[in-house]
Amino acid sequence: MWGTIGLLIGLVGLLVLMTLPGTAWAQGEEVASAIRRYRDHEVSTGYYEEYEVKPRRMAPLVEIPGVRRGLFPYSPSAAKVRIRTRLADSHRAIRFYQRARCERCHIEQTRDIHTVRANLTCRQCHGGEPIASIEHYYSPMNPIRRHAYVCAKCHEGASASFASFVVHTPNPADMATRKSFPILFYVFWSMVTLTVATFLVALPHAALWGVRELFIKEEKSEGEDKD
Amino acid sequence: MRTKTRIKRFTPLERLFHLCLLLSFLAQGSTGLARLYIETSWGQGLALVFGGYEACRTIHIYVGIFLLFFFVAHIFYLLSKINWKNFPRCLFSPDSILPRPKDIKESIQHVFWLLGRAEAPKFDRWGYWEKFDYWAVFWGIPVLGVTGLLLAYPLVATRITPGWGLNIALWVHRIEAILAMVHVFTIHFFIAHLRRHNFPMDRAMFEGSVSLNHTRHEKPAWVERLEQEGKLESVLVPEAGAGKRALFLLFGYCAVAIGIFLLIGGLVNSPYITW
Repeated sequence: MWGTIGLLIGLVGLLVLMTLPGTAWAQGEEVASAIRRYRDHEVSTGYYEEYEVKPRRMAPLVEIPGVRRGLFPYSPSAAKVRIRTRLADSHRAIRFYQRARCERCHIEQTRDIHTVRANLTCRQCHGGEPIASIEHYYSPMNPIRRHAYVCAKCHEGASASFASFVVHTPNPADMATRKSFPILFYVFWSMVTLTVATFLVALPHAALWGVRELFIKEEKSEGEDKD
Repeated sequence: MRTKTRIKRFTPLERLFHLCLLLSFLAQGSTGLARLYIETSWGQGLALVFGGYEACRTIHIYVGIFLLFFFVAHIFYLLSKINWKNFPRCLFSPDSILPRPKDIKESIQHVFWLLGRAEAPKFDRWGYWEKFDYWAVFWGIPVLGVTGLLLAYPLVATRITPGWGLNIALWVHRIEAILAMVHVFTIHFFIAHLRRHNFPMDRAMFEGSVSLNHTRHEKPAWVERLEQEGKLESVLVPEAGAGKRALFLLFGYCAVAIGIFLLIGGLVNSPYITW
């Protein structure tokens, strides 16, 4: 009797649960910060690099590895990718986007210190829907204003140079990094080479020394206790 | 009066340098690894000792700054130790810690001795492995210090380096720290504590002196030189009391225990963290 009632209550509970919205539907739309209204206030030319944000002499320092900019940053092979980096909605026309989680496609981007250690979610930096492409003129993530509109939310006083820190650091050991972030690749491998070379010499040297002394008793001087 | 059986090897100031270096090295190693391994329960437990993830950062930064001042103080100490009257030549004397061509010869001969193919080389005051240890730390502190300062104060740092320089600084800091820790926790501890002739512990850096009889065999050229110059009597000192020796041993093995704990914990947990 009571068992049947309990089972019924359980089934009704299950049905109620199934009517609730999923827990992981693109993390909802709760983020509607002032950043979204940036374009309402934007009146400048957008050429911050030239004179508004930092002194001109700093300009050569804020290049970003993997992001090729300049007069003609296009190439036929990369055109497909580059067009996506300039959309107002970077995820336009991606199928089943409404029900996807960011990490379904961007799993590599969840493995960095900001995500893992500071427990940031994607949207705390990238904002709500629609997420504009990084190179899109009005995107908060556009390198011309990223420091002020994204980084400075936590790192108060962030400069354009500061914002060129690669948050989604590529695996420095990867061959792909040799193209996207060559300095990191070469510095990483030189340091690893130094470390490996040190231990290749020092570990066998110490081990051999230990073994050698096992087989010889320490020589004693005259008059010293023989023990 | 007790018999003088030991040769003075390190001044009290040098021993103080080593003690400061030892303590700050273990503090930096523990707080740094606690942060690197914060995703694992091992790292979280380690961080708890220092008051958590953020407190580890604070301690790491302040001890790091202390180490940099300590390094500058050591430079001044070196400058004061140089015999300026005999300037360029004194750098190449056997008492100098600078590497000499003879070190290469000795290291090769020593390896042949390890293999049982040659006589043991007659080392002078500093063996090549001791010089290597010294210079590794000497360059390690500025490398870790500069990259550490860049990472600790990114807003200021990115005024002199582009932001992506911090990506590189982070990896240099990590690898250099791992190199330093693994070297100290395996090679340095093994040579100073575990090899048969030094077991259970080489007290030289704590007591400031080494046994004359032991040194006659390990550093024969040094003792011979002291005897020829007639200085041997003046550098002899008595052995420290039993209480002091027990303290040195206890302290040394505490350091070894912490080092081994960090080494094994770090190795075992390394697959479970996001690098």
